[in-house]
Amino acid sequence: MKKYFLVRAMTEAQARNRNQLFPFNRSLCSSSNSSDLALKNVTKSNFEPALAELRIHVREADFVSFDLEMTGVTSAPWRESFEFDRADVQYLKVKDSAEKFVVVQFGVCPFRWDSKNRSFIAHPHNFYVFPRQEIPGDGPSYEFSCQTTSLDFLAKYRFDFNACIYEGISYLSRSQEEEALRRLNSVCNDESSESLSSSKSVADTQLVRMADILFAERMVNKIGEWRAGLLRDTNEGSEFQGSSNDTVQKLQTTFFKMRPALVLNALTSRQLRLIELVIKKHFEDLVYVHATGEISCPQPLVVYTDSTTDRDLLMREIKHCHKKEAVTKIKAAVGFRHVIDLLSTERKLIVGHNCFLDIAHIYDKFVGPLPLTVEEYVSEVQKHFPYIVDTKVMLNSDSSFLHLVKKGSTSLSKAFTLLCPQIASPSVSSIVLADNPHIKVEVQVGDKRFSNWNSGAKHEAGYDAFMTGCVFAQACTRLGIDFNLHAPPVDLVHNEKLQKYINHLYLSWINGDVIDLRTGKCATDSLGSTNLKNRYPKILFSNIVILWDLPSKLKAREIKECMSKVFGSDSVTSVFHLDETAAFVQFSRQEFVSCFLELKDTLEQKYDPISVLHPLSKILEGGRTRAASYELYKEICSSPISEVLFSNQAEAVGIEWRTRLLEPVVEVEKQEDKASTFSQDQDRKETSPINNAAGTLSCCHFPTDELVDSFYPVQAQLSK
Amino acid sequence: MVHKRFFCSKIFPNAADHHFRLRHHQNKWLIKQVTKSNFSEALGEIRTHVSNSDFIAVSLQQTGAYSAPWQRVLPIDTAETAYLKAKRAAERFQVLQFAVCPFSVKASKLIAHPYNFHLFPRDELKIAMPSYSFSCQLSYLTTMAREGFDFNACIYDGISYLSRAQELAAADRIGHSSPISYGVPSSSANSVADSVFTERTKSRVRHWVNACKDSNKKTEDALISTLRKLVSGSELYGSRPCLIINVCSERQVQLVLEMLKEFVDVVPIVVPARGGEVQAIRVVLTSSEEDKNLLEKELQDMEEEHNKRVRGFREVIDLISTSQKPVVAHNSLNDFTFIYSKFLAPLPSTMDEFRSSLLLVFPHILDVDHLMKAIGPFEKVNNLPASISYLRRKFFAPIDMEVSHRAEADNVQIHGRNVLRISELFAKLCSVLKINPETFEDDYSRLSYALQCHANTLNPSLTSSEDPIDEDVRIWNKNSRRISIDNLVLLWGLEIGISAAKLKALLHGSHEVFSKEFDVQMVDKNCAVIVFWTPGFSDRFLKIMDSGEIFCESLKDMISEGSAAASYKTYRSVCKLGLWEADLADALDKALEKSKRLTEAKSEEDLSVIDWNNDKMINLDDL
Repeated sequence: MKKYFLVRAMTEAQARNRNQLFPFNRSLCSSSNSSDLALKNVTKSNFEPALAELRIHVREADFVSFDLEMTGVTSAPWRESFEFDRADVQYLKVKDSAEKFVVVQFGVCPFRWDSKNRSFIAHPHNFYVFPRQEIPGDGPSYEFSCQTTSLDFLAKYRFDFNACIYEGISYLSRSQEEEALRRLNSVCNDESSESLSSSKSVADTQLVRMADILFAERMVNKIGEWRAGLLRDTNEGSEFQGSSNDTVQKLQTTFFKMRPALVLNALTSRQLRLIELVIKKHFEDLVYVHATGEISCPQPLVVYTDSTTDRDLLMREIKHCHKKEAVTKIKAAVGFRHVIDLLSTERKLIVGHNCFLDIAHIYDKFVGPLPLTVEEYVSEVQKHFPYIVDTKVMLNSDSSFLHLVKKGSTSLSKAFTLLCPQIASPSVSSIVLADNPHIKVEVQVGDKRFSNWNSGAKHEAGYDAFMTGCVFAQACTRLGIDFNLHAPPVDLVHNEKLQKYINHLYLSWINGDVIDLRTGKCATDSLGSTNLKNRYPKILFSNIVILWDLPSKLKAREIKECMSKVFGSDSVTSVFHLDETAAFVQFSRQEFVSCFLELKDTLEQKYDPISVLHPLSKILEGGRTRAASYELYKEICSSPISEVLFSNQAEAVGIEWRTRLLEPVVEVEKQEDKASTFSQDQDRKETSPINNAAGTLSCCHFPTDELVDSFYPVQAQLSK
Repeated sequence: MVHKRFFCSKIFPNAADHHFRLRHHQNKWLIKQVTKSNFSEALGEIRTHVSNSDFIAVSLQQTGAYSAPWQRVLPIDTAETAYLKAKRAAERFQVLQFAVCPFSVKASKLIAHPYNFHLFPRDELKIAMPSYSFSCQLSYLTTMAREGFDFNACIYDGISYLSRAQELAAADRIGHSSPISYGVPSSSANSVADSVFTERTKSRVRHWVNACKDSNKKTEDALISTLRKLVSGSELYGSRPCLIINVCSERQVQLVLEMLKEFVDVVPIVVPARGGEVQAIRVVLTSSEEDKNLLEKELQDMEEEHNKRVRGFREVIDLISTSQKPVVAHNSLNDFTFIYSKFLAPLPSTMDEFRSSLLLVFPHILDVDHLMKAIGPFEKVNNLPASISYLRRKFFAPIDMEVSHRAEADNVQIHGRNVLRISELFAKLCSVLKINPETFEDDYSRLSYALQCHANTLNPSLTSSEDPIDEDVRIWNKNSRRISIDNLVLLWGLEIGISAAKLKALLHGSHEVFSKEFDVQMVDKNCAVIVFWTPGFSDRFLKIMDSGEIFCESLKDMISEGSAAASYKTYRSVCKLGLWEADLADALDKALEKSKRLTEAKSEEDLSVIDWNNDKMINLDDL
């Protein structure tokens, strides 16, 4: 999903051919007629057996790769990933995305090393997931967002939305399950304190109509008769059965929980309510039991009890049954989360490609609400998934691989074609990477095993998971891990050569920020993953002001010119348009930030000819322009609202002032400290005010012109 | 595309059942389903039907209506707050199906032409429009799934659109050449520079025209003709010769167009540049009057094709709007806020603005809900099938329905059938109310009284300000009476899941203000509204809550557990400020906080009556 606009190199011609042959290979029903392309699709109907099977495969697996398809990635253009995102802001953006969108497809692919055949055996699974409301109360979600381009993208790859919405497997997160159980308990306790009756409405029912009174009377007689017969029965033998079977066909005797009971058939709900009423009124030792549609007691019954203690016992039993059923229902609603729990309890190595957002989705959907800060989040993630590997990080630190792609993208399918040509296109004998032995991967779908399996269904989560696993296996051999040397199971988790990759994920690909899940610390990818990175000057967040509600069509260059007139020609390091209504301006010195904000405030307060002639007036034209320090951007990113334009967002968040001056320096320092916990690397430490006071002017000579118009780098940042 | 349906029809016997049942008694109801592939054809058809019909019924299927239970339109809402809620929904959710049915009623016979358009806000032109993202309410999707809606068809093949405002905003990015009709130059006083420019271009065009006509006569050396073309800037436009005249201002565009009027057989085409400005004018030479007409026709077709591409489904909206025919809807506030925000412009911030600008586009909106109220205000009929069966039971109003599309045996489409129900209901209502729909069209000023009352009042369960009903008069059934919103108090921070009855029992007799008649209804899981039927008691209650002078333990307990109360004004500002929190309690807290900060205490004296109706309250068990 993060690789939308990418042209996939994956032997296009071949893929096209296949698509012509099997134009609907994505729909479930047609998978049977193209068995060699089959992907194990799992929906509501075959979830139970598939889960049982998956349990075995995961238990045996050496690692498990996964991939997700979502309904969207960013809820507003300004929430896309930018170079001007500090680590905490990046996390807030990921959090927002995971909270707003839902997962529609979940690919899981366990890989097991088969030492006999010297190959991996993969079991790709493609789960359709949909947050259906299976139990009363709060379901997995009340509503969710869809990004139009994402749906369109999925449609382009023939995603089967009907399968997802009609047949997708539902789920409950751990916290939702706990909440549901807690509510159930409180309801049960409530009932016990209030009354023994199963229905509260009885008290409200009154005998108003003549017919009701007659019916009630008749029932008192009938039931009384039955009861009397029952009592006699124990002494003298069955009399009731014979005498009243013809007269009261609606009443049959049966046994309920070892007690004699009367079955009430073919009665209206009103009649049942009346019966309940008269039983309460007239018979101490009879109990009315009814719970619609449940296994323990499918029909309404009148049960005879020996004594009050027996009656209480019965009621307790019934309640216990109800509760057990409700619990079973909640457990069943857990649904797809069983797969996540499986991965978590087995503590296997989890492999994804650029999977920080994917993990956030998993956490939000299947564990609980995402924590507010990235540190809390990573420590929580580690509890559930102790070993995660990001293949994108692995590939980007492999210099010979990077040389191979020639600074091109390290997207999944590209890596797959390059690293695993024998799988991607078995017919094409590959010359690349001849020095490296290719890992053999066999695929098992159901009972069938394929040595060249290629479902060709790109962006199908199951297939993407498979590709990720293959890329990972190949990347391992490139690191010098020889699977043949290990007796299965291969202990990848503790493999020395893999240690520096485990739990290192790209927090944001565009910044090359790699986060260590064990510590929550961020480091910029040492190998300079992106060439984009080099184009930009170092970003010093404390030197940044954010401007919005700007006069329309004000260009970045013009902003820079205005600022330069006031603060000197070298004062502006860069200007970056967040969207058409907002821009970041990075100054060369930190004090310019407060200077600018104060100046703006003064100019706006006294609106006299001088302020009109002031160089800044071009920026302030119209009198709506607002400004604040970088912290405001974080504040706005943390809001659950998502307006399309940044200025509308700021308004919706409730910003009423025009300029927010910086707080006293002490405060600033505190914030700096907080911020720098994210960025332990030395580069960012320079942002502390002390260093700045010393005058590090080294960062102002960067060429700014080329960034000036760098609007919306959508494509770059969406690439996986 | 055919294969996609396969999946859903195979595994959902329920949907198939449903189809079957419908086929049984509505076999003549066929609604034409329109997607991208047959849109052009359907557009042509519906154009004719719209112009031949007297009314147009519309009905929308959205992806959702509210993000939290309290955010739907409730009986405690005034017109203003109801509008704000509808606005929020329209901005947040998406229309996936839009059913349009031009119909006429001729002597108890309904002639209907129902169409159901499948929409998807695809970014066809790569300009990040019409919609970046939208929300889906789970229960709405589930309902659509139950009806056998084909999501694949909708997303793969739905028709896109641009609103009027979006088209304007994107004009520079859409860019196309068209014979734009420029007006006569505003200032006729031509400067010297202007006349020099005009004369120069005129002579250039004249030379070119002459040259073209010459070259037609005598055959020329290929080289010379190429050179001539280079020199004169002549090109070919299709098979016709054309000349490019570069311009550098709007003024020059006007001058050139004005000047070109002197040449009978040339057609000007304006070539826009990026940024929406005109870059050049292409002058195409035609061989005869006939040829000129042909070219103009071609250009017009191109324009239409372009519009269809850019506007997409909005063509249908524009069609309805230009026809000026009365539009019949059900739940019109909801539908028209959606129509306005998706196809016209961003919704204005107040109800009055919305109403007035909507009426410019759709001058006659009729809401069947309102008409229903005219005949049976005591009945709570809030959905279409219920309304129809109510009419069937109470009145004799046989309506014969004739639908233009005939059903093929296996292909009964139920999607969009509400639009037929609306048409039918409207026809029945007209007959019951003795309105003659045939003469209706002729003279709107002679509308019968009943319609006059109900035309153009955007419904929901609320009454607009001009309704001449006094406060505190029991006019409706026992549960529904009017009450000034001054007598309402919102109470929140209650024990979660508390029932209204329990709360009422708790409050009853706890203080003098609760000794007289009062009502309690839950709005949310821990927020209630209290109705004091004795004027002034609401203020007293609020004062008690503020001062903390407590007389009774139960009240004291509630307050110590975090309950708070506020007047209706706070609720109104929640809607105004757009504090759409999941819990109303949180939103009210925020609004109080804000109002404390804001010193401006402008008390607003506007529409302050609502209909109090117990039946319409949310039943929390339903949620």
